[in-house]
Amino acid sequence: MIRSLLAVDGVVAVCHFRDDGALVEGYGRMPDQQLQALARFAHDYKRLVQGNIDQLAMFTGIDGWTPPGGWIVHGVGMTVCGVGNLVCVLENAAGNPSEVMRELAEAARY
Amino acid sequence: MANLDQLMAIDGALAAFEMNERGELQQHRVVEDSAFDERTLDLLGHMCVANMAIATMQARGWEASFGKQGFYPVNGFTLVGLKWSAVTNGCHAVVMSNASADYEKAYEVLGVGGGAA
Amino acid sequence: MLTAELMRQPGVIAAGEYSYRGDRFSYKGEIDDEMARMASIMCRATTMSEHMQVGMLEQFCPDCGSSPANGWIVRGPMFTVCNVANVFAFLDNQSASLNDIMALMHKRLADEGTDLV
Repeated sequence: MIRSLLAVDGVVAVCHFRDDGALVEGYGRMPDQQLQALARFAHDYKRLVQGNIDQLAMFTGIDGWTPPGGWIVHGVGMTVCGVGNLVCVLENAAGNPSEVMRELAEAARY
Repeated sequence: MANLDQLMAIDGALAAFEMNERGELQQHRVVEDSAFDERTLDLLGHMCVANMAIATMQARGWEASFGKQGFYPVNGFTLVGLKWSAVTNGCHAVVMSNASADYEKAYEVLGVGGGAA
Repeated sequence: MLTAELMRQPGVIAAGEYSYRGDRFSYKGEIDDEMARMASIMCRATTMSEHMQVGMLEQFCPDCGSSPANGWIVRGPMFTVCNVANVFAFLDNQSASLNDIMALMHKRLADEGTDLV
């Protein structure tokens, strides 16, 4: 199912991870070891973002921050996008994070 | 302002380093046969900057909620690992063994005021 | 109970415990329910971040003795927050011994699991 995300422009890898950070399934132009590391990173980052967004909601008193809809880390040449327990890596020159986030949100429902 | 030799003179010090505002390693000292290489210290430097930024955000939010109390500005963060601790303030950090860790001394050398009398 | 023991140490203003799931907290000391709730959220977030960082350091330097994470300290001008496992303490810098408090927390929490549940 998540393999279809590789068809989105620019996406080079996609992973589904468990709540303990273990890789459930992963596809793309990465060796298995890197896909496992990506799953672990995404799991940690999901927790981190959850923690920060809880604090933002707490300090500002503004509704609508939590629970987080996802996260995007934009690097020089690559971007990592996460929604729920799914994560994608895309090449900036070839893809659009907005489209990837939409597709991830759709896939994360199942 | 701390210097690296002063930091290395702290009992149990394993490494000391200076980073820039992004956390990139500028200069460092390590004990002989140290397991800490430049690559690891550079990563640790980035963590020091990230942790100080998060702690500063928390202190700001806390004091905005409950009034000024003495948490802000944060002038020290310590990451305690299994066998060692990394103590940072400003652009300096010292890594010291947990077996003999003297946090108060580390903060003093790092130029942090307000220690125990 | 560790929080009660911490409150008996000089300079400890408040001490608390939170669940890693984020669904409960308890505390003692000179803070109210809302402050304790917010402190628990902040401490939990920092602890999660620390575990991630120590995991990364372990990958960079497997023999450095980084993992598992063993706590963190935030030093402000007047007050310090220290955390080991899922227990935190607020200290008055002038009257508390950070080294003694950390040693006590490490001693009492030495057998805590590291899987954050």
